[in-house]
Amino acid sequence: MAEATATGTTGTDEWQPKIVMFCCNWCSYGGADSAGMGRFQQPPTVRVIRVMCSGRMDPVFILNAFLEGADGVLFSGCHIGDCHYVNGNYKATIKYKFLKAMVNELGLEDERLKLDWISASEGERYAEVVTEFTEQIKKVGPSPLKPEGVI
Amino acid sequence: MDIGDCYVGWATDEDIRTRGASGGLVTAMLAAALEKGLVEAVVVLKKLGEFEAVPVVTSDPEEVKAAAGSMHSVPIVLSRYLDYGTKVALPAKPCDARSTLEQAKRGQVDIDTTYIVGLNCGGTMHPAVTREMLDVMYKLDPEDIEGEEIDKGKLIFETKDGEEHAIKIDELEEEGYGRRESCQYCAVNIPTMADIACGNWGVIGDLAGKGTFVEINTKKGIEILQNAIDAGAVEITPADDKGKAIRAKVDGAMMNVAAAANDKFLAPIEGSHLDYYMNALSDCINCGACKTVCPVCACGEGAKCTDFSSASDTYKMSLFHLVRFVHLMDSCIGCGQCTDVCPVDIPLTHIYQRFAVPMQEEFEYKPGMDMTTPPFFGVDLVEEGH
Ligand code: FES
Repeated sequence: MAEATATGTTGTDEWQPKIVMFCCNWCSYGGADSAGMGRFQQPPTVRVIRVMCSGRMDPVFILNAFLEGADGVLFSGCHIGDCHYVNGNYKATIKYKFLKAMVNELGLEDERLKLDWISASEGERYAEVVTEFTEQIKKVGPSPLKPEGVI
Repeated sequence: MDIGDCYVGWATDEDIRTRGASGGLVTAMLAAALEKGLVEAVVVLKKLGEFEAVPVVTSDPEEVKAAAGSMHSVPIVLSRYLDYGTKVALPAKPCDARSTLEQAKRGQVDIDTTYIVGLNCGGTMHPAVTREMLDVMYKLDPEDIEGEEIDKGKLIFETKDGEEHAIKIDELEEEGYGRRESCQYCAVNIPTMADIACGNWGVIGDLAGKGTFVEINTKKGIEILQNAIDAGAVEITPADDKGKAIRAKVDGAMMNVAAAANDKFLAPIEGSHLDYYMNALSDCINCGACKTVCPVCACGEGAKCTDFSSASDTYKMSLFHLVRFVHLMDSCIGCGQCTDVCPVDIPLTHIYQRFAVPMQEEFEYKPGMDMTTPPFFGVDLVEEGH
C-alpha cells in the first residue's frame, strides 16, 4: 500500500469503498449527467448501473452486488409521484422495506443499503447523496460478504 | 345451515364409523362428495406404515373409505397434482389449508373449485424421529405399535398386545423428540381458513369419541356438509355451548404452549447474525429440495432463486437462500417441509421464520389465513393519485 502511494497509483492510502448504484433512466441517471455537467465534486466510488425504472430493481440485483463484493448499494429513482411508469418507485419502496429488514436480520450493517430519490435536474443533490453515502460506508468499513481476493 | 354454525356429526355407515377417527364424519363427507359428483377428485392419505402416509389423488369413493383413520401428513403442493380448476376436496391441517390459500393467491389453485375440509391439528411427528423416539424413550419396537393418541399432554402409543404406553409430551420435547419443531411453535390449531373445520375437540358427553365437531366457515363448507347429509352419509346435531367452550379452551391452551415454544426456538440470535447464517448455510449442497417442496412457492422452473445461483458459486453465502429469504418473507407459513427434506440437516424452516415473522408482524399480515393480497404485491394502481 505504501509503495502504491509512493508511485502515485492510488493517490491516497485511504481505503475507498466500492459502491454499486442503480439509477432509473428518466430521473436519477439524468441527475448523474447534471452532476457531471455542473462539475459537482464527488468521490469516484460509485459504479452506476442504469435501469429503466427504480421499480425494475430486483432484490436479486442487490443481493448479488453484495455477494460480488460491493461495500454498499445505493438505488435511486424519480421522486414519488414523478415515476415515468406511474408507480414504479412506489413498488421500489415496498421492495426496499423488505430488503432492509432482510439485510438487518442477516447481520449486514444497516448503512450499506440506501434508497433515495434524485430527479434529472438535481445534479448537486446527486453529488451530495454519493458523497454522503461514501462517507457512511467508509465508517462501517469493507463488507463482510466480500469474497476473498476482491478489493 | 349458516356460516359460523357448529355441529357434531358422524357417519351413518357402521364400518366407516368404527374405522374412521371420531365417528368417521370426514371420511363419509369426502366419499359422499365424490359419489354425488360434487367433486371429481379427493386427496386422501395412504398409509405407508404406522408412522407414514403419502397424499394420493383418487376419484374412487371406495379408496376414500379405505383411507379412513386419522393420519397427519405434510402439506402438499396441490397445484402439482391437479389441473387448475379441477373440482377437488382436500382434507387439510391448518398448514395444508394455508398453503392452498397461498397457492390460490398465486393463480395455482382455483379456490372456487377446491373444498378444503379442515382438520384440527396439535402437531405432527417426523416418521424417522418417531421410530428413534420409540426405541430410546419408550423402549418399544416401532413395528409393535398399533395406534397413537394425544391425551392430556401425553403422547400415548398402543402396542399390539393392547397395552398403552404414555409419556408426557413436554418430557419428550425436552429430549429433542416429539413433534416437529415447527409444529411446536405453530399457533394455528383450528383451521378457520378452511371451508369447514373438523376435529374431536368439544365433543362431549355420550358422543365423546363417536362424533366430530364441525364449524362451517364458508358457503362451500355448507355445500359439502349438506351434500353428505342429503346423500344420507352423515347425521348431525347442533353443538352445545359447553362443547364450543371446551374446544376454545383446548385451542387457547395449545396457543399458550406454542407461544412458549416460539420464545424458546426463535429467541434472538446471540452474537453475530452474519456468522450464524453463514455457518448454518455453509453445508448447503444446492440440491433445491427445499424449494421443490415449498408449498407457497409458485415459481416452478426458471425461478429467480435457482436461475441466478449455481453450485459453482464461490460466494460467502448462498444466493439461492438469500433470494428465498426475501421471497418468503411475506408468505412463509412455517410448515416445516424444507427442514424435513434437507439432506444436510439445515434447520431451514427455523431460519426462514426468523426472516418472515417480524415482517409479517409489521404488516399485520399472516399468510394463508384469508384471501387478502400479500403486502409485497399490494401496490394499488390508483395510489398516489394516478
Ligand atoms: S421511471 Fe424513475 S422511478 Fe420509475
